[in-house]
Amino acid sequence: MNNNDSIPSKEANWKKSVDKTLKRFPERKSTFHTTSEIEVDGLYYPDTNDKYENDLGYPGEFPYTRGIQPTMYRSRFWTMRQYAGFGSAVETNKRFRYLLDQGQTGLSVAFDLPTQIGYDSDDVMSEGEVGKVGVAIDSLHDMEQLLDQIPLDKVSTSMTINAPASVLLCMYIAVGEKQGVPIEKLTGTIQNDILKEYIARGTYIFPPKPSMRLITNIFEYCQKNEMKFNTISISGYHIREAGSTAVQELAFTLANGMAYVDAALKSGLDIDAFAPRLAFFFNAHNNFFEEVAKFRAARRIWAKIMKEHYQAKDPKSWKLRFHTQTGGSTLTAQQPDNNVVRVTLQALAAVMGGTQSLHTNSRDEALSLPTEESARIALRTQQIIANESGVADTVDPLGGSYYVEELTDKMEEEVNKYLEQIKEIGGAVQAVEEGFMQREIHHKAYETQKQIEKEEEIIVGLNKYKLDEEVNPDLLKVDEALEQAQINSLEKIRAERDQEKVDELLTILRTQARVQNANLIPHILDAVKAYATVGEICNVMRDEFGLYTGM
Amino acid sequence: MKKIRVLIAKPGLDGHDRGALVIAQALRDHGMEVIYTGLRQTPVQIAQAAVQEDVDVIGLSSLSGAHRSLFPKVIDELKKRNASDIPVVGGGVIPSEDIPFLLEKGINQIFTSGSSTDVLANYIKQLIDPNSSTINKPTKIAHIGIAVNSIDQAIPFYSNTLGLDLEGVETIESEQVKVAFLKIGETRFELLEALSASSVIQTFIDKKGEGIHHIALEVDNINARLQQYKSDGIKLIHEQAKTGAHNSEIAFIHPKAANGVLFELCQPAEGSEE
Repeated sequence: MNNNDSIPSKEANWKKSVDKTLKRFPERKSTFHTTSEIEVDGLYYPDTNDKYENDLGYPGEFPYTRGIQPTMYRSRFWTMRQYAGFGSAVETNKRFRYLLDQGQTGLSVAFDLPTQIGYDSDDVMSEGEVGKVGVAIDSLHDMEQLLDQIPLDKVSTSMTINAPASVLLCMYIAVGEKQGVPIEKLTGTIQNDILKEYIARGTYIFPPKPSMRLITNIFEYCQKNEMKFNTISISGYHIREAGSTAVQELAFTLANGMAYVDAALKSGLDIDAFAPRLAFFFNAHNNFFEEVAKFRAARRIWAKIMKEHYQAKDPKSWKLRFHTQTGGSTLTAQQPDNNVVRVTLQALAAVMGGTQSLHTNSRDEALSLPTEESARIALRTQQIIANESGVADTVDPLGGSYYVEELTDKMEEEVNKYLEQIKEIGGAVQAVEEGFMQREIHHKAYETQKQIEKEEEIIVGLNKYKLDEEVNPDLLKVDEALEQAQINSLEKIRAERDQEKVDELLTILRTQARVQNANLIPHILDAVKAYATVGEICNVMRDEFGLYTGM
Repeated sequence: MKKIRVLIAKPGLDGHDRGALVIAQALRDHGMEVIYTGLRQTPVQIAQAAVQEDVDVIGLSSLSGAHRSLFPKVIDELKKRNASDIPVVGGGVIPSEDIPFLLEKGINQIFTSGSSTDVLANYIKQLIDPNSSTINKPTKIAHIGIAVNSIDQAIPFYSNTLGLDLEGVETIESEQVKVAFLKIGETRFELLEALSASSVIQTFIDKKGEGIHHIALEVDNINARLQQYKSDGIKLIHEQAKTGAHNSEIAFIHPKAANGVLFELCQPAEGSEE
């Protein structure tokens, strides 16, 4: 781009931070070219004007519309993080090591439903669910097996765990300790977003208030121990899967984000101490440009909220970092190979939108958990986008498109309307309790279903271009015998551990739970180390906090 | 007819209830009373609720893979309560190879993702009331179908000379016909023009020339009615209703059954004003 005589400060700032970034993260290549040897610049932008500087600005600079780093994927690709987990810890550990060998750069753990809702595998509620949608974790013993031979100082781990996030985080810390990795060297993310559980996903345990307390306890603990973990991943993914629009996904997620910030501030934390560790998690559906605009708008709205509303001083607090997963509910059981194409489009939108990490769904997920082959194709999809398409060679390649910029502005406008509405209700927690978001989403989900049935919305292979004879793909089967094996192993752990110590630590946890401003994390950690189980620890809290039973 | 009562339940721990909620709303729109249990119901709770609420049918939804253990348990619990007569249908992410197993365990039918809610609603209606004991007599002539060589040439007579209002013209690709509707009182003339030589309208014109092709009767409970006619030995062209213009459900009775007249049965789409 042209350099004028009078270089405005924002442009100069960006150039300075590019130089600084390049020292730490040199670009992947010395020069970038298209196939016709046309050189590709790091960033394309207009001759400077105020509107551009204010609304878009430069990557790595407020309001971050064009990305949170000055050079984005020119220096380093996004983290390719495939969500995996099924059956036993030993089996999942094998899949993890396979994926790491295949070039995956981060782990992402799926837990089974009993673990996610704080039940042990032998609980009556767990019947039929053990190891089905993720790995079964009962005690530290399972976590040790899950992470066996995986160097926790080198691999970052994302854990999809919400209601009992505190327990699983403590197990991770404990395994790190056993491997000799100090707490401040551990990296990763816990999802830890309870509000979206009430809104859309349903794996809650306790009522909102004590749940919010556990979350702020984690913020505080990680900050004190200088843990570089993302303490929460505020998730729009499930809101979208439940049937929301892109605007609703964004609005409700950001509203939830504000509720967590409010809770943390109320518990006495300093905004710039915890805000840089907040992360987000979005969905990517098929409407390509809308998705790109959504990600760009998300960054801009959040940056303004953090800087202008919460008065955060540290630019790190302004940056919205996010993980993306392609849209599971967009995939069809019919003609599953078509899903590879859908996932490609969605992944491309996420990359064009500037995601920090990405999970691409497997083609068979409308039928069952992915097979190893389909998980590999999903990962390869990302690798092809990264290495072959050239879309990662310049920052925010769609920036400046009349269409994308207009969509980004419109998205911001619509999201702000919702945020205003939620503010009037009294904030996200109140809105969730009143079922406001739930109703908005259900209404939209039903509308969509009717549109599909009337063929006003075309889903290829489902309501149009159908095949009479579907070929059944090979599916992954979780062994039904696994449940019993997991129960046996749990009983063995219970028999071998120091029961007196476990009882004593659980009693301490119970007493502390009654103390309003006590931080429970150190007590959970002690209990975990003594091999108290997820179910035992959660039962103590269930007794003290009560159960949430839905609307 | 008494409203059909349906219990929609989510057994197991999975919290994704988009499907269950969409189905609940769709069945309500089909005039049923729907009770939704909420998340995380055990088979015992589901059977208890079904008996207490005196429902006609239970719909189970599952996405987590626990259907093989949980669905049959619901059937067992119903048996224990002498409530085996309550039919159970299931839906969700269920691999096709599990379906025979579930049917064998006593589940009546499985609807996997991509199933239409109308199909489900009709299935339930027939399941609960196969002969729809109250088959009402047709109340009016929905339209009279007239085969013409060319709609464009026929319309001036109907709209200018007779002065009838032309409601609309549409093409039905699947039947290879173009149709025009002209309103007369509470009924209509439907002009039919063949779009290709393979169209039944062309065959009709080739054989008999232009003229009255069929008379359509407006009915309710179309599928139950067809079943009834079939068991009464009436010759039918369609034994199951199919979708016609304006999302109505239609079926034809063979002219042999009606003194050489081709009758169409026509059930307007629910929610439409006619």
